[in-house]
Amino acid sequence: MKGSKANGSRWIKTAAFAALSLFSTGSWAGLYNDGKVFLTGGVFTVDGAGGGGAVPWATITGYESRDGINGGVGFTYVRLPNYDINWIGGSIGFFDRFELSYVNTKLTTDLSNVNTVALVVDALELAGTPLVGDLGLSSNGSKLHMDTYGAKLRLFGDAVYTSDSFIPQTAIGFLYKKNTTPEFVRTLNADKAKDWEAYLAFTKVFFRYSTLVNVTVRYTAANQIGLTGFGGCDLGHNNCNSDKEFRGEVSIAHLLQKNFAIGGEYQQHGNKQKGKTVDTGGLLATDPDGNLVSDLVSNLIGGVSGLTGLNNALAQNESDWYDFFFAYAPSKNYSITMAYLFLGDVAVASQQNGLYLSLHATF
Amino acid sequence: MKGLTKKLFAGAALSIAAMSSATSFAGENPTNPIMGVPASSIEEFGGREGVRAWVESLFYYIMLDNRIAPIFREFGNPERQIFLNTQLETMVLGGPNEYQGASMSAAHADLGITMTQFNAVVEAAYNACERNVIKYHTCNQLINALAPFTDDIVTR
Ligand code: HEM
Repeated sequence: MKGSKANGSRWIKTAAFAALSLFSTGSWAGLYNDGKVFLTGGVFTVDGAGGGGAVPWATITGYESRDGINGGVGFTYVRLPNYDINWIGGSIGFFDRFELSYVNTKLTTDLSNVNTVALVVDALELAGTPLVGDLGLSSNGSKLHMDTYGAKLRLFGDAVYTSDSFIPQTAIGFLYKKNTTPEFVRTLNADKAKDWEAYLAFTKVFFRYSTLVNVTVRYTAANQIGLTGFGGCDLGHNNCNSDKEFRGEVSIAHLLQKNFAIGGEYQQHGNKQKGKTVDTGGLLATDPDGNLVSDLVSNLIGGVSGLTGLNNALAQNESDWYDFFFAYAPSKNYSITMAYLFLGDVAVASQQNGLYLSLHATF
Repeated sequence: MKGLTKKLFAGAALSIAAMSSATSFAGENPTNPIMGVPASSIEEFGGREGVRAWVESLFYYIMLDNRIAPIFREFGNPERQIFLNTQLETMVLGGPNEYQGASMSAAHADLGITMTQFNAVVEAAYNACERNVIKYHTCNQLINALAPFTDDIVTR
């Protein structure tokens, strides 16, 4: 029930966004514009902003030049060994100067360790002896959902045409991220479920080498771009800290053809949940002798040795992200981006490498 | 014979230039892109004749594009522009500097060209490269060398 409501509001938001954009182009017919050169608005990032795959660029989304308005909708799907993530959203660029974006992210886990905890919680509830409150877990795949609202303002510089100057196109961006699964985020020992981020992006096309280089500095406290919340706490939600820090990101795209780019990205991540196990409330509490307080839990997870194994498996870690991609824009109306992601350790799962597929349709 | 036609052509071109842009006739200088333009570019374009063929294709694609064709139809002079553009592009690609036309700002000052129209010409430039089998990377050297004129040409 709860899930279907969240699902409904997500589609309404996306539809409203699309309707707004169509309405805009209809009533301001003179402002519709698609005069930008191929791929120079970037594609659809996981933050909704225009850029590469993960890194927002200083370019403004859409195919508008400084003479008008353009935008698009995007869908991205990522398959990792223990996670399945999809993004759906849209963005509008105004006069190649300002950009607004929205994206909804849904992550579904496939983690035996977390599923075990969820099963124990369910079993206790069935037995009529619930030990803990809502941990936000589900025994058939716990979910993390997030809404991201973004705005970006181009400050100065021109990424494409000032080929006689090293000054890059420079933009400042803000993102407001609201995780709508706060129970799970809390269970993962994050401090906050919603927070803002800011970034400064620098983009330059080096025609000599048919290559675009982007450097972004982000001020953030996000764990896994916010999917697992912001900041971290000790067990029991004590000693919380979600101080923001500066993190670096780089995108390099080499154009093999005017509408086909290959490249790679790097995104520095924090590690605010490092070593912290999943907070199961009192579920896995032990007495002074190290035995589980609840006999039922003890039976379910195989006593003390089961507990040690489970606790180890529930320790979290976060790695920097890398990816290699290609983006193809057969026309100005759509682009396809495929990537291979190296996300390393993501929460309680290690070696999360997998495929990324993204479609960006532009008006 | 060929040289004579050329001279006549240039002479006609110059007199029109003098008429149409009486204010300034500063000519134009090669641009200075960061990281430079590879010396082999002009050769990869097929030398002066290759550049000339490219410019002719460029004007074909320009005249096929409704967004910009009307401007060229009304204010342009294809033969003169093809001749002068060949000189200009040869120069910025590292060839001899024989450019006899107006400066980019003087030539485009009264046209009120928008960024959208400028980008449309850039698209035509890439199409012309593809039509003339000039490699994308080589084509980018020309874009590299012409890009610094953007602000002189786009006045709106
Ligand atoms: C980097 C891009 C461009 C270059 C290198 C370029 C080059 C030239 C050259 C060499 C001339 C001849 C100057 C002379 O008569 O002495 C010229 C004239 C002209 N250009 Fe461009 N041009 C560019 C972009 C554009 C654009 C975007 C438009 C319009 C959409 C345009 C429209 C014209 C017109 C109509 C003339 C004739 C003006 C007249 O004779 O009064 N040009 N251009």
